[in-house]
Amino acid sequence: MKLIGIAGTNAAHSFNRQLLTFMQRHFESQAEIELLSLDDVPLFNESNDQSDSPVIQRFNQKIEAADGVIIATPEHNHSIPSALKSILEWLSFKLHPLDGKPVMIVGAAYSVQGSSRAQLHLRQILDAPGVNAIVMPGSEFLLGRAQDAFDDQGNLKVSGTVDFLDSCFAKFQKFARIAAELNVPDAVSYQPGTYDVTAVGHNGELPMAVTLSKDRIEKIDIDTSTETEGIADVAFERIPKEIIDGQTLAVDAISGASITSNGVINGVAQAIKQAGANPDALKKQRTTAKTTEPAVHEITTDVAIVGAGGAGLTAAAKVLQAGKRALVLEKFPSVGGNTVRAGGPMNAADPDWQSQFDAIPGEKHTLQALASIDEATIDPEYLADFQQLKAEIKRYLEQTDGQTGYLFDSKLLHRIQTYLGGKRRDLKGHKIYGQYDLVKELTDNALDSVKWLESIGVQFDKSQVTMPVGAIWRRGHKPMGDLGFAYIKTLKKFVNDNGGTIMTETDVQQLTTSDGQITGVLANGPQGEEVVVHAKAVILASGGFAANTKMLQRYNTYWTAIDDDIKTTNSPAMTGDGIKLGTRVGADLVGMGFSQMMPVSDPETGELFSGLQVPPQNYVMVNQQGRRFVNEYGSRDELTQAAIDNGSLFYLIADDEIKKTAYNTTQEKIDQQVAAGTLFRADSLADLAKQIKMDPAALEQTIADYNRYVDAGDDPEFHKNAFDLKVQVAPFYATPRKPATHHTMGGLKIDTGARVLNAGGQTINGLYAAGEVAGGIHAGNRLGGNSLADIFTFGRIAAESALTDRVSED
Amino acid sequence: MKLVGLVGTNATHSTNRQLLQYMQRHFANQSTLTICEIADLPAFNEPADRTVPAAVQELSDKIEAADGVIFATPEYDHSIPAALKSAIEWLSYTTRPLINKPVLIVGASNGALGTSRAQAHLRQILEAPELKALIVPNVSFMLGHSLQAFDEQGALIDQAKVGELDNAFNAFVNFVTLADKLLPSSQFFNQTKQFSWKQITDGED
Ligand SMILES: Cc1cc2nc3c(=O)[nH]c(=O)nc-3n(C[C@H](O)[C@H](O)[C@H](O)COP(=O)(O)OP(=O)(O)OC[C@H]3O[C@@H](n4cnc5c(N)ncnc54)[C@H](O)[C@@H]3O)c2cc1C
Ligand SMILES: Cc1cc2nc3c(=O)[nH]c(=O)nc-3n(C[C@H](O)[C@H](O)[C@H](O)COP(=O)(O)O)c2cc1C
Ligand SMILES: Cc1cc2nc3c(=O)[nH]c(=O)nc-3n(C[C@H](O)[C@H](O)[C@H](O)COP(=O)(O)O)c2cc1C
Repeated sequence: MKLIGIAGTNAAHSFNRQLLTFMQRHFESQAEIELLSLDDVPLFNESNDQSDSPVIQRFNQKIEAADGVIIATPEHNHSIPSALKSILEWLSFKLHPLDGKPVMIVGAAYSVQGSSRAQLHLRQILDAPGVNAIVMPGSEFLLGRAQDAFDDQGNLKVSGTVDFLDSCFAKFQKFARIAAELNVPDAVSYQPGTYDVTAVGHNGELPMAVTLSKDRIEKIDIDTSTETEGIADVAFERIPKEIIDGQTLAVDAISGASITSNGVINGVAQAIKQAGANPDALKKQRTTAKTTEPAVHEITTDVAIVGAGGAGLTAAAKVLQAGKRALVLEKFPSVGGNTVRAGGPMNAADPDWQSQFDAIPGEKHTLQALASIDEATIDPEYLADFQQLKAEIKRYLEQTDGQTGYLFDSKLLHRIQTYLGGKRRDLKGHKIYGQYDLVKELTDNALDSVKWLESIGVQFDKSQVTMPVGAIWRRGHKPMGDLGFAYIKTLKKFVNDNGGTIMTETDVQQLTTSDGQITGVLANGPQGEEVVVHAKAVILASGGFAANTKMLQRYNTYWTAIDDDIKTTNSPAMTGDGIKLGTRVGADLVGMGFSQMMPVSDPETGELFSGLQVPPQNYVMVNQQGRRFVNEYGSRDELTQAAIDNGSLFYLIADDEIKKTAYNTTQEKIDQQVAAGTLFRADSLADLAKQIKMDPAALEQTIADYNRYVDAGDDPEFHKNAFDLKVQVAPFYATPRKPATHHTMGGLKIDTGARVLNAGGQTINGLYAAGEVAGGIHAGNRLGGNSLADIFTFGRIAAESALTDRVSED
Repeated sequence: MKLVGLVGTNATHSTNRQLLQYMQRHFANQSTLTICEIADLPAFNEPADRTVPAAVQELSDKIEAADGVIFATPEYDHSIPAALKSAIEWLSYTTRPLINKPVLIVGASNGALGTSRAQAHLRQILEAPELKALIVPNVSFMLGHSLQAFDEQGALIDQAKVGELDNAFNAFVNFVTLADKLLPSSQFFNQTKQFSWKQITDGED
């Protein structure tokens, strides 16, 4: 019989450890007792999950593999020590190795009562549902006055005590054997057939066909078409395979795609239920834990790239095009980062193409307004460009006078709009705007980035010029197909086809240096193995930190408040790792206080596409008191700050007619959300107000006022720029909204060659940064569509610099 | 009245922290409630020399200076979290500021029972001889389904619960005022400050 012994303390000297050591020796012929030490177990912290760390995994695996566990508990303050409580919490949080495991409790203490109170607490704790151990009843072995109990050889002195321990242990061995029988899963038997079920995925329904034979799950077919390509794919690849390979439903959801993962698991569970079996039985059956001892994996490459988003894959592709080796390390199971979430169009001035399209009303006016900006307000670096742009605009307006005219654009217009769009002041009055040389580099090379992407296979839809939301100007090059995933799909294929390596689930932890030179990275691989990478250059392309609320709060100088529970539109991977990696080797930071929020996000998930998203002319935003509080046409940051000033949570009010202008939903989804309580619907405004706990009279008054403003075409309160529909036809809707974090403009300081700079302005040899991890370009506010332009431009530049500085020389 | 509220968890998001923050505002005219965190304390490891880590000393000083302490505990596996247990172990092993200190136990958890079992454990723990806190008898406050319990402004939504909390808090305030009179002589106090399990059981006490 194989048993695990745990002495419940991390103290240097312990009688309980002594007791277990004695038992180990004394029972040698009957059982193999392996002792696990609590010394390196970190204090449990729900907010810092370390279930995957080697220490916790060791406990998990050893206990899973054992026939039983003996816990020797001291008594601290009438209960068990925190060190013991801590490991039990780790083993009841994400992992549950004690579930169904036979446990024997013993204890040694100074006092005569031994550890009786601690043992009682321990029984109650082991019985909690998250732990769910099977504790042997009775046979309480308490060793009182432990300081006098052992002789010099560490043996128990009193023979009566030894006899009692012998009888307790004999009983435990019997008990463990009986418990093992309890744990043998009931043989599952299915009514064979193919079951059509519908699970709930991220974007709605997930139809599945599950084929079961008499005793096996044979096949899982899923209609994957509605889920997000590029995000859900890994779940579709892995979850069905793990379910079938292990004949189990106890599989872990894939990070970044947990909703899809759980959808698939639930779908199979439904089928199993329909086939007359109990899915819970399969949820308990665990596949054997990963048992491989963590190994070290050493790799040598030319350029190591941290992060397989748009910037990282672009850099890898460029390195490969130069005939050099590229290794991309990606911490998530799937590639693409935030880039797969992006709306798609990237900004690049391409006058030859854009001039084939007519100007639309308002565009000339925008140009005139821009040209009439007082030069005294333009910062000196940009003045010459601004003057030149004014001349371009003047020429264009003269040329097209009296006609509709064509769509104007130029590198200079893109540059000046990026500069003006990013100009902001923070709470302390500090002004920020994009660094001239970087903005110039971006706007001069953005079009080349489009052409380069085309050369490796990205296809753009030339039939239209789009204006990405928040972009100010129509210069969006929209890829054919699946939004942001269109880029990633092509880049990934290019990297794989050209001999590059992408390692997923490999989390970079540290940059290595030698003689002031970056020499590679250290990372944790999928099985917890250490990955040591030797490289001539390292490119950080790990994205921003909009999913790291603590970090946002720490650096924030722009928003009056960032709530602890603020949600994000980003992938959960965006935790600012690259910024931390860089600063640890001396990198300087720039513009870190400025982040962008998406004002109209789902309060629970941070996403944009729930509830009723209608065109802004049909938005009616009310605060929790039922009053309007802002011009609904305001910019992202105006809306966000107004929301923050009104307690963050607000509602978009709609009537049945406005509902029809929603571009994101269907009646079916609306009904689902109303049923789930994430969207509110009522036949009168008063009832709607009651549902969302606001004063009915206030909401009625607000809407009556609003409707009058629509009729008058004038909003004297907030000066809304444009109106369309009134709020008058029942049923009425309220979509709860809250600002969510969206983009971080600040980051590592780089030069125009994407070389990372230290505080003295010198380059850190061998270190490059591209994409959202770098700062200095978008300053106080990033224009829609500029980030994609940025990542593909600086991703290429970073690779070129790395090659010329560090790789080509030898 | 000066009170200390101890957040019984090291988690970033905690409804127990929210509960104390609400109490801080709600009872502002009766007391100043200083909220103390345990997240930055080291894990207790029974150092042989009994050195007090700076963070523990700081917490201990705040408790020492207060008229009473409110423990807000979550429930983890039918008991108090290891992090709270660790904080208590430090206090019991080093400075012992809780001796004769009036204590109120409150707790919030996501389950229906609202930390009943954790509170029972905490009571037993705080009554251990090296802690000897004066726990207000027959008074406690349990908040179940805590994730849904607060509104956007952080106020308790359920008015019946607000009433319960008011009663518990008032009973505690009275108890703190009375506690002075309950306190045993200062000699006992000094003795217990030096309490050691080893001493008692070795008959040295
Ligand atoms: C919902 C949404 C919509 C958007 N829409 C647009 C738009 O329409 N137009 C536009 O221009 N911009 C848009 N953006 C912004 C844009 O998508 C991002 O700024 C851009 O994709 C960032 O690219 P990147 O290559 O720098 O980082 P990402 O694409 O985010 O990639 C970073 C990668 O690094 C990995 N990583 C992080 N840390 C580590 C580590 N320690 N080890 C290994 N790997 C690591 C991450 O897992 C990730 O895969 C949008 C963003 C969001 C969230
Ligand atoms: C913080 C602390 C609190 C303690 N509380 C108790 C207690 O409540 N009851 C008890 O019998 N012993 C108590 N002790 C003494 C321990 O029980 C004693 O160290 C232990 O029982 C001996 O077992 P060990 O050598 O395995 O640690 C306490 C010790 C410490 C450090
Ligand atoms: C390891 C672990 C064990 C838990 N065990 C219990 C439990 O036994 N009873 C219970 O009601 N809640 C349990 N919970 C859920 C907690 O009630 C919940 O996380 C916490 O109490 C809420 O308090 P907080 O918001 O202050 O963190 C457990 C949570 C964790 C992380």
